[in-house]
Amino acid sequence: MLNTDVQISDPLVKNKAARRRGFFSRELALAGVTIFTIVLFWILYPTSFGNFRNFSAIVRNLAFEGILAIGMMIMLIGGSFDLSVGSMASMIGVVTAALMKVWNWPVSFAVAGGLLIAALGGFLNGFIVAKVKVNALITTLGTMGIFQGIALLIGGPGITYLPESFSQFGQADFLGLQSPVWVLIILALLAHYAMSYTRVFRQFYYIGSNAKAANLSGINVQRLQILSFVLMGTLAGLAGILYASRIATATSTLGVGAELQAITAVILGGASLAGGRGTIWGAMIGVFFMGLMKNVLIISRFSSEWQGIVLGAVLVAAVAIDSVVNRRQAP
Amino acid sequence: MPGDQVELLSMDGIRKSFEGNVVLKDVSFHLAAGEVHALVGENGAGKSTLMNILAGVHQPDAGTVWLRGTNLTIPDEKAAQRLGIAIVFQERSLFGQLSIAENIFAARQPEKRFGRIDRNRLYEEARLLLKRAGLDEDPRTSVEELSPAQQQLVEIAKALSFSPAIVIFDEPTSSLTERETQGLFEVIRQLKASGVGVIYISHRLREIFQIADRVTVLKDGENQGTLPLAETSTDDLIQRMVGRSLQLRHQDAVAAGNPIFLEVRSLSDPKSATKPLLKEISFNARQGEIVGLAGLAGAGRTELALAIFGVRPRGAGEIWVRGKPVEIKSPTQAIAAGIGYVAEDRKEGGLFLEMTIAENVAAACLSRFGEFRLNWREQVAVAERFRKSLRIACRTTSQNVQSLSGGNQQKVALAKWLLVNPKILIVDEPTRGVDVGAKAEVHELLYSLSRQGATVIAISSDLPEILDISDRIYVMREGTITGELSRRDATEESIMRLASLTRN
Repeated sequence: MLNTDVQISDPLVKNKAARRRGFFSRELALAGVTIFTIVLFWILYPTSFGNFRNFSAIVRNLAFEGILAIGMMIMLIGGSFDLSVGSMASMIGVVTAALMKVWNWPVSFAVAGGLLIAALGGFLNGFIVAKVKVNALITTLGTMGIFQGIALLIGGPGITYLPESFSQFGQADFLGLQSPVWVLIILALLAHYAMSYTRVFRQFYYIGSNAKAANLSGINVQRLQILSFVLMGTLAGLAGILYASRIATATSTLGVGAELQAITAVILGGASLAGGRGTIWGAMIGVFFMGLMKNVLIISRFSSEWQGIVLGAVLVAAVAIDSVVNRRQAP
Repeated sequence: MPGDQVELLSMDGIRKSFEGNVVLKDVSFHLAAGEVHALVGENGAGKSTLMNILAGVHQPDAGTVWLRGTNLTIPDEKAAQRLGIAIVFQERSLFGQLSIAENIFAARQPEKRFGRIDRNRLYEEARLLLKRAGLDEDPRTSVEELSPAQQQLVEIAKALSFSPAIVIFDEPTSSLTERETQGLFEVIRQLKASGVGVIYISHRLREIFQIADRVTVLKDGENQGTLPLAETSTDDLIQRMVGRSLQLRHQDAVAAGNPIFLEVRSLSDPKSATKPLLKEISFNARQGEIVGLAGLAGAGRTELALAIFGVRPRGAGEIWVRGKPVEIKSPTQAIAAGIGYVAEDRKEGGLFLEMTIAENVAAACLSRFGEFRLNWREQVAVAERFRKSLRIACRTTSQNVQSLSGGNQQKVALAKWLLVNPKILIVDEPTRGVDVGAKAEVHELLYSLSRQGATVIAISSDLPEILDISDRIYVMREGTITGELSRRDATEESIMRLASLTRN
């Protein structure tokens, strides 16, 4: 029943090895459903769905949520999560825009300043969770409100007509894809490498799997938790800046609900709230699948209200199937 | 006396296996009304499984259960309660913030109209039950204010509230002092006198001779005999439990001249701690020595290990490793100082269950496999080495630890520390829940570590084990060391005396 001819040098393969005992893999199942959906709609709507322009549009809208999902996946693997990412993205977009329009900073300085504030905000979250030991849900629920408030205070509804030297990056095209999409692809590859192979990032799997045992094994749990929040904050800030650059406008409410979208995507892609599970490619499939569902609902002329219903049902169904199948396997 | 009593319970030909592991093989067990029947056996012998079948937690694969001459199936815990089968659990399962009375009647509070709880009746009935259980406390007291022994009595009152025909005591005295134990025995004698059948599970053979009428010995899921206590002896029971007579197997006692590897000097919990436990603890361990830490649950042995390992904050006191004072404020520093700690509960503090054997083995020294990029191939190679040397039974080292048996999981937890190669290894309950074969292998491993010049500090609640493996034993009680015993002077009795001394 078991073939052992796979190369065990690859941690990804190793995960599959664990699942070959019959474990249901959300990543693979979701990849299957995604391909099925694409084929189905290609046949149903060959002209409006099956063309490069449409696919390019799907992925263009994914850049923002995809970057958040990378960070969120790392958080969930480490057994934590961050609700403040949407507000963080809004706040950093507005702050960066204000730095260049109100205080007239050069674009590169404004972007660097925005990212630094994002990292500091992430550090604040991490410090409160890891050192002060306030529950991550409560901490980031609080900072979510704080960051959103700051975004509205500084930007009002938003800051428009951002300098062209800023917006040209976000609107640049390369091989038919906008630059934020390329940023996402590069970040995903880096994160995949880090989470699969590097010592520092693999420790998140240990922490998420059993934080107490990780601590007793000499893994610096607190420091890594803080690192994950800093990383998450910075990624959220970057996502906000890129989005502002793409539409030449920093919207104060850009990230409303984005944190839940990101969590939905990474859980669809195989993460677990209990921690220790998930891969970056799973997060990417999760995000792509969500974008695809929104797209096919629009193409098949369902009203936008259906998005929430369909995605919600898929989320619960995916986790429920997982839970039922794995319970049957477990002792 | 048993002979002339009515048969209350009979379990015949009980078989049970989990995932192909046979846990009970044709076990029969009989209990008469008014009898105290002891059930003994090593960890993993099948005692809990047998009792869980009686309590409706598990269903037997084969066999019959008769209660007062009626053939029964016990589908769940509720059914067991209705039939009058009550268990006093080893781990207290109380709600700390609720009152004694609410704990006793959890979910069964007497009600007035419209579902309002009838408080007067609740407290009155609770008071009567507490009196029978021998606890003199107001039923409105919240449970977290009680001592462990008093909480145990609340558990008993809770069991009595079901008007049981059978009461199962599972290791009831592990956290009790000698005097509290005698109090418990008084309660058991009253139960006996009122015709209740009592099943008494304990590792403490001495207690069994005090309280029980008959004893049944289980070993590897098989009944090794049911006999009246008058017809047996401690040695006979051990022989039946272990399947061999216990020899002192760890011969080469350490030369007294070996250098001291670990010395703890008057270590105490910080004064600011909410519940200070450790007080002025001093002890030492030499190179190549296996030092046992004995004591009852709650004596502070694990807390001491955690304080040395940098997990539990320390107040006054010093730790010297190989003749030098060391600064230890985190496990990372402890590991750097050459100390390892195999955690008490491997699932909680030792293993990463969803991760592979290779990843678990590597966990405590990841940087050995690369500061930046981890060499996965080498992790597997190292794990393969341990798989062979420790005889870890698995298909592949890329298998999740979750899928291993308890004994093999424990070997993985040990392998993690063998790879670190510490000068001082603290093992906390190293063989809890592992089968007899794996237990011997774990012991052999500790011997070979000490022969190679490491110091082993072994914490164990299993007295025969600690007597078996230690060169020297320190006994703890209530956060202090109450005595030191050489290998020659140590007996179960001498340890228990030091472990349960009452201060008055």
